[in-house]
Formats: sequence, C-alpha cells, structure tokens
Amino acid sequence: MRGGRLRDALVLAALALYAAPFFWQALTSVRPDAELLPLASLLPGRLTAVHYEVVLAKSLMPRALLNSLGVALISTALAVGLGALAGYALVRLPVPGRGPILLAMIAATAFPQIATVSPLYLLMRTLGLRDTWLALILANASFALPLVIWLLGGFIREIPRALEEAAATDGADRIATLYWVILPLVAPGAASAALLAFLFSWNEFLFAYSFTATEASRTVPVALALFPGVFEVPWGDIAAASLLASLPPVLIVVGFQRYLVRGLLAGALRE
Amino acid sequence: MASPRCDTSSRRSAADVADRRLGWLLLAPALLLLGGLTVYPAIWVIWLSLQYRVPVFGIARWAGAAHYAFLTVDSRFWNAAGVTALFTVASVALESILGLAMALALRGQQRGRRVAVALLLLAWALPSVVTAKMFEWLYHPSGGLVNFLLGGRAVNWLGDPALALPSLVLADVWRTTPFVALLCYARLLTIPAELYEAAEVDGAAGVQAFARITWPLVRPILLVALLFRTLDALRAFDIMFVLTGGGPAGSTETLTVYAYRALFQTLQIGFGSAIGVVVFVLVMLVAWAYLRLINRQEAAA
Amino acid sequence: MAPRPARAALLVAGLLLALLAAGCGQGPSGAGPITLVFKHAKILGPADPVPGLLRRFEAEHPGVRVQSEALTWSSDEQHQFYVINLEGGSPPFDVMMLDVIWVPEFARAGWILDLTAQVPPAERDAHFASAIEPATQDGRLWALPWFMNVGLLYYRKDLLAKYGLAPPETYDELARQVRLIQAGERDPRLDGYLWQGKQYEGGMVNVLEALWANGTRVIDERGRPFPEPERAREALAALRGLIESGVSPPWVTAADEELTRRPFGDGRAIFLRGWPYALDLFELPDSRVRQRVGVAPMPRLAHGPVGAASTGGAHLAVSARTRHPALAVELVRFLTSDVAQRAMTEGAALRPSRPALYHDAQLIARDPTLPALLPLILRGHPRPITPYYLMLSTTLQPEFSAVLVGRKSPARAVQDGIAQVRHLEQALGR
Repeated sequence: MRGGRLRDALVLAALALYAAPFFWQALTSVRPDAELLPLASLLPGRLTAVHYEVVLAKSLMPRALLNSLGVALISTALAVGLGALAGYALVRLPVPGRGPILLAMIAATAFPQIATVSPLYLLMRTLGLRDTWLALILANASFALPLVIWLLGGFIREIPRALEEAAATDGADRIATLYWVILPLVAPGAASAALLAFLFSWNEFLFAYSFTATEASRTVPVALALFPGVFEVPWGDIAAASLLASLPPVLIVVGFQRYLVRGLLAGALRE
Repeated sequence: MASPRCDTSSRRSAADVADRRLGWLLLAPALLLLGGLTVYPAIWVIWLSLQYRVPVFGIARWAGAAHYAFLTVDSRFWNAAGVTALFTVASVALESILGLAMALALRGQQRGRRVAVALLLLAWALPSVVTAKMFEWLYHPSGGLVNFLLGGRAVNWLGDPALALPSLVLADVWRTTPFVALLCYARLLTIPAELYEAAEVDGAAGVQAFARITWPLVRPILLVALLFRTLDALRAFDIMFVLTGGGPAGSTETLTVYAYRALFQTLQIGFGSAIGVVVFVLVMLVAWAYLRLINRQEAAA
Repeated sequence: MAPRPARAALLVAGLLLALLAAGCGQGPSGAGPITLVFKHAKILGPADPVPGLLRRFEAEHPGVRVQSEALTWSSDEQHQFYVINLEGGSPPFDVMMLDVIWVPEFARAGWILDLTAQVPPAERDAHFASAIEPATQDGRLWALPWFMNVGLLYYRKDLLAKYGLAPPETYDELARQVRLIQAGERDPRLDGYLWQGKQYEGGMVNVLEALWANGTRVIDERGRPFPEPERAREALAALRGLIESGVSPPWVTAADEELTRRPFGDGRAIFLRGWPYALDLFELPDSRVRQRVGVAPMPRLAHGPVGAASTGGAHLAVSARTRHPALAVELVRFLTSDVAQRAMTEGAALRPSRPALYHDAQLIARDPTLPALLPLILRGHPRPITPYYLMLSTTLQPEFSAVLVGRKSPARAVQDGIAQVRHLEQALGR
C-alpha cells in the first residue's frame, strides 16, 4: 500500500489519459474547420470560437438544453418526492404485501426500455402527449422511481426508531414526523438520489427520440444525435454541442462527487 | 379478556389501521406512476406482440404466435442475437478486468483521490450520445485521433464489418468501466490493512495476497457489478444506434436496434414488440440466473 | 418565514402547475391574413427560386401569406417528420414537398388530398408519365410533380476520349474501361466507378437499377418478391464484383450522393452514378472537371436493357387536414405550372417534370444539357409503386448491404429477402 508521490502522480496521469477522449472532444470544439479534416497535428495552430457561435446562435441546441433542463428538473423532483413518500411507507408503515411490492419494483428496474417503448409510444400518441415535456417527465420519473425508493428506503431504515418514537411522544403524528424528523435526516441521501435521477433523465435518449417529432421539442441527446449536416458532417460544431451537452454531468461529477458516489454505492452495495 | 388488555389491543389496532391507510396513501402515487408506465406497458407489449399492428395503415388484427414463429427462422434476428451476445460478453469481461485493475491501482492513492475519482466518473456520467459522437470522431478515417496515432493509416473502424463491433465494444467499455471500478474500489477500501500485514508475516505477498485476501472479499461486489452491467449491456441501445446505426450490414445490430428499426422504421408495432418481448424475457432470465448465483455464493460464504 | 407545511404545499402546487403546463403542446397560431405553410427541403443550387415564386403567388392572391419552412436534409428524417406529424392528427403545414415514393403511402393512410377533381387531364398529361404514375393510387391523383430526377452515368469525357472509348453499354465494358484507363493513367488516386452503396434509400436505388439492368425486379405486380431470383442473384453479385475486383473502391459501401459526387468533381474518378443536380455543380466556374463531364444511360447486365435508371424527384401534395384546401391546391398547381418550373430550372439545379420544357429554346440556352437528359428520363422508370414501398425498402436494405460488404452471399440475401418480404406482407394482410 506504499507508493508515494510518484505513484500517485502516475495513477492520476493514467486516469487523465483515460479521460482523454473527452479532452480531445473539447480540443476539437475549438479547432478551426480547416484543421479538422484531415488531421495534421495534435495541437491546433489556432483556436476558434466559431463552433460555439454556430451552435449557440444557429442550431437547435439552446432550445434542446432548455427542454432537457426542464424535463430533468421536474422529473427528478417528481421521482424524489414520490420516492421519499413511498420509501417511508414501505420501510416504516405496515403496508400489507410490501415484500412483493418491493420485489416488483426491483424487477421493474430490469425491464428493457425497448420493450416498453412501443406501448408507451401508442399511449402517448393516444393521449396527445407527443412533443410535450409531460410525456418525458412521466417516463423518466417512472424509470428513476424504483432506484430512488430503494435508496431512500435504505437511508430511512438507518434512522433509529427512537427518534420517531420521541417525536410521537411529543405529540406529532406520522406525517409531521415524516416532514420534520425523517426528511431532514435523509436530505443528503435524497440529494444523492436526486443527482442520479437527474443524470439519468439528462442522458435519456430512447424515449426522448421516440416521443418527440418536432425540432422544438427535442432534448439534448436527440438534438445531438440528429445534428444536421448538409453536405459534410460538421465535426467541430458537433464537438461544441457535445461539450454543452456535457455541462451538467461534468458539474455534478466535479462539484457533487461525494453525493454521487454515495448514491452509486448505496444502490449497488445494498442487496 | 381483562378490559385493560382489550383496550390497549384495540387502541393499537386502530393506530395500525391508520398507519396502514397512511401507508397506502403515501405509496399510491408512486405505485400509480410505476404501474401505469412500467408494469402496464410490460403487459401491453406482450399483447401487442401477438398482433399485426401497423398504425399508419390502420392495420390491427390478431396474429397469434406468427411473429415469434417468424423470428425462429429469421436470419436477421439470429444475427442480432449473436451480436448482442458477443457485445455483452466482450463488454462485461473487459469491464470487469479493467475495472478491478483500476480499483487496485486506486486503492493505494493518497493524494488527489477526488481528482482521480472525478476523472474516472467523467466517462460514466457523460450522456451515451455524447460518448457515441465522441468515438465516432475518434474513429474517423481521416480526421480521427486513433488513425493519427497509428501513423496516419486510414483504417475504417466503423465502416469495416470486421472492425465495427470491436470498436463499439471499446467505446462501451470506456463508458462503463468506471462503474465497476468504483464499486470494487469502495469495497477494497473496507479491507483492513492488518489482513495484508498479517499475510506478509506469513510470507504471502503480491499475487498470493491477492488470491487469498483481496479476491474472496471483492468477488461478491464484482458479481453484483457484473449483474448490473450484464443487464445493461443486454438492453443497450443508445451507443450502437448513434455510433453505427447497427451497421455496417448488421454487424453491430443488436436485438434492441433490430426492434427499434422494426418499430419506427418499418412501422411494424406488432413485430417490433415481439422482438422487444424476446429481449425482455432474455433479460429476466439472465437476472434470475445471476441472482441465484449470488445467493449461492452468499450461502457458501 | 412561512410555516414549512405551507411551503411544502406551495412546492407541490408549483410542481402540479409545472406538470400541467408541460402537458400543453403547441397552441394554434393567431388570427390574421390566411397563412399557408409550405414545408419543403432546402433547394440546392446556385440560387433559390422558391421565395420569388411564393411572393408571386402572394401577389396574385391578396390576403394570403405563404410561409416557407425547411425540412431536414436527410430523406429518412423527412419521412419520419411527416409520418409523426400527419399521424398525430393536426399537422402544422398545408402544402408539403414529398419524395415521390411516399405518395402512395400517404394516400393510403388518408393524409393527403385527392387532387383528381381539381387537376384537368391536360395538365396531368403535361408531366412525364413516370412522374404521374407513382403519384396515382387507385386511379386517383394525389400529388403533382415538382421536379424530376433520373439516375445518370457520369463519365470523364476527356479520359474516355484519350483512350478512344465510347460510354460503356454494359457493366463488363465499364469494368474493362476502368482497368484500361487506370493502367494508362497510373494515378493511384484515380478511382474507377463511384456509386452509392450505403445502407439507405439511395443504396436501394442503386441496387434496384442493377436488378432492372438484369431484366428483373424486386417485386412483381402481385407483390411476389424476387420473381426471378437467379437474375437478382446475378445482379447483386455484379455489384459486389465491382468492389471485389477494385473497379469501385471499398468505401462506396458507406457512400451517399455527396460522398461520391465530391471526389468525382475533384477529378478523382472516371465514372459516377448520380442525379442530375450534380451536373450543374460540375460545370461551375471553379470546378476541376468543368467541360470534361458527359452523361450516358446506365449500363446493362446480361438480361436487361441499357438505361434502366430510376426516376425520382419531388412532388407537392396537400395535407388532408388543411384549413384552406382550395387555396392549397392552387398553390400546388401554381408551383408545378409551366411558369414556375421554368423559374426553377433557371434558378436552381433542378430539372422540370414537363417534357415540353426540354425543347424550350430559352431554357436550353440556359441549360444546354436538357436535350440530352430527355431521352434518359424517358428510359427510366419509377421504383415499385405501392403504399408499402418504404417498408419494403427498409426491410431489404440490410440484406443488400450485407451482400455489398461481403457479409452474405447474393443467393442467401435473395433467399432471406424473400422470407422477410413474405413476413411483411403477412402483416399487411396481402
């Protein structure tokens, strides 16, 4: 387990190399078109902001970013809100059949999206919800819900019953206990769950692609996948759009790493 | 039958009933959402798979098992099944080895752990579409970094049927290894240093220490990671759809891509649903097999 | 500080409101002058004549505004856009530009208006038969042709002349000529025959042309797939042979129109299969192959005719849900009229769908290639005219693509193709 500074530095360098594809894309986003095809040298001769200009001013990305942000925030709020309540009910309240319910929820996480996309497509079509945020919010929330319930249920279970009993003797009913005692204590866990739910919604592609038809209602992954190129593929513009699409995930990984890791581990380690 | 005992029990059951009602109330919205958008479609898709459904032309009639019968003799289906199997096995195998190696390397990290984990998780957190576009550019015959580093040879990574699947697997492994690495890393951190020191005293070090201490302790979590990863690989869609579209000539067309094309390109909702159901059953079977394996491992431990 | 339950209630209310607002799709546009929305793909070429034509229509119809909206470039995406919007019930457009292969499909689905009553027979007959026929379904006319396309064999006049060759009539001769010229020129960067082999509709066109060149087709009148499987196998083998023998570079299996037009335009290929729009681009002042490009009919294989090229082009149709049907039909008739097609030929790299215009002196002065193109168009024929053409195409494309990249034998591909099409037809109830 000894290693020293050199070893640490080498490992960091190796990991930086591992993340190199991302840095290469960032470099591509500021490389002028003339130097993209064919590739002549690693470092560009000069830097340019034209790709970002094109993407921000002339492409669908700004609208797509708004769509993604709205859908992700609302579906996360929905998933965490409903998930906290459901998690508490399953863990603390004598709901009959909670074992099977929990099992069914876990099984639901294994449902392949490609199987549920066709009936959901028909459903959204019938309800007239194509091209709306609501369709994606509901779909994303429903997919995040089992994981959120699993996570929050686990965190709630760790709260000592003594705290709840103390609140009960103070005259608080279940709901008040839930609101004033439980939720504040699982707030960090809820943050982890929220981050995971947000990331999932931000990255979601299949449903967003299937449920939206018009350009105005596309989310970021769809807009990126359908990035237009009249004659040739505009690799520089796509790189710039990719970087913009990566902003929230990068921010989360850099800024909220602790919560993210906690959520990931709790989800996997708790069997 | 003494009155005080009756009173307390009735008071307790009243509270119980109230609790139960509250429980249902709190559970209902979540169950409604899940039921409506996950369970109900799961049943509906089976129903759809037994029909000829082409909404564009108003075709909706019973097909029975006709789609499934066709799939048994459909060469494109078997090709897709093979690609899916190859992709899954190759991806999961590479991720496990690479992930474990990374975790072992990270274990001794003293400085810059946050930076290390950040660099690692970056690949995992990016949207799969971003990753697909990124690798599409890396693999570009004349503008891609890969060919540049290979000395300027114009290898057509995504256009050559022999190279497309390995290229895809590499992209997916890059994206998902951090998850495995993180899980193993977290587990490794919980192994007390004394165990290794004791082993050294016994004369076992390096590989032997790994085999006797590390591996048995990390294996359960690796299995759990493998479970998640296998199910994810079987269901994977985004990366192959955007990176290669299933091409060239179906060499990267997994079951999910085939199902998608049947659903939204040829607009055969019934047929596409049948392929989706096959993926569904496959995933459930694999999940069940894995869980049995994990349970057996735990029982043996 | 408001009490926490009240704040929570506010949050929930806010969430519900957000959900409700999110459920609202696009609302209808406000009142005002009558606005027709015209959906079409960007017109390639030196100048875009469409805005001028629309303004002219507006001038002749006071109180009417025509709003032009662009479609994406990719044909598949255009189709998906149309299907999703037309299926949804209230499409936000009135007049649309359609690829000719979609017209029977949209007609069968009930998405476009029947134009038979509004278009007199004389006007109908003024267009190419191979353009009107695919737009006719069940004896009714559903769309009017806007511009015409036909598959052409482009060749380097200078190179063929240098070696005393005339444009090849058979694929064998084409291969021979390529080898001769390549041996003579000794230029490693000079490719032989470029065509579109990528797995998309364009690739399907190339394969169909090869099938027709061998006197067979992909589906017969009764809907039977590959009625002459042996000839189909030969045709596929011939295409694959072009790549295996090096007459065509291997990357044609991933190439579309633009990826093949550019190298030919840079002088790096001897033959190219392409649409007429490329001709104008080759004759631009700064083109490296200016004055050195000729067009010829597509070559034949053993059992078929010369010039078995695919016709194509765009048609204009009216959405069945339009609020202004009479006006929309008028717009369609105006844009496909003699006058409008003249303007389009003069302004853009588009060819008219009216045979008479190919003899027009004024137009010929602007575009001297018109007389040469006329017989080529007359020899071409449309792709299978069926509402299920796109389903057929997307079902067969993977099979053909597998042959072209060498992953499947032609015989196997034909066999699998037959099975796939039969299954498709079962679903369609035929």
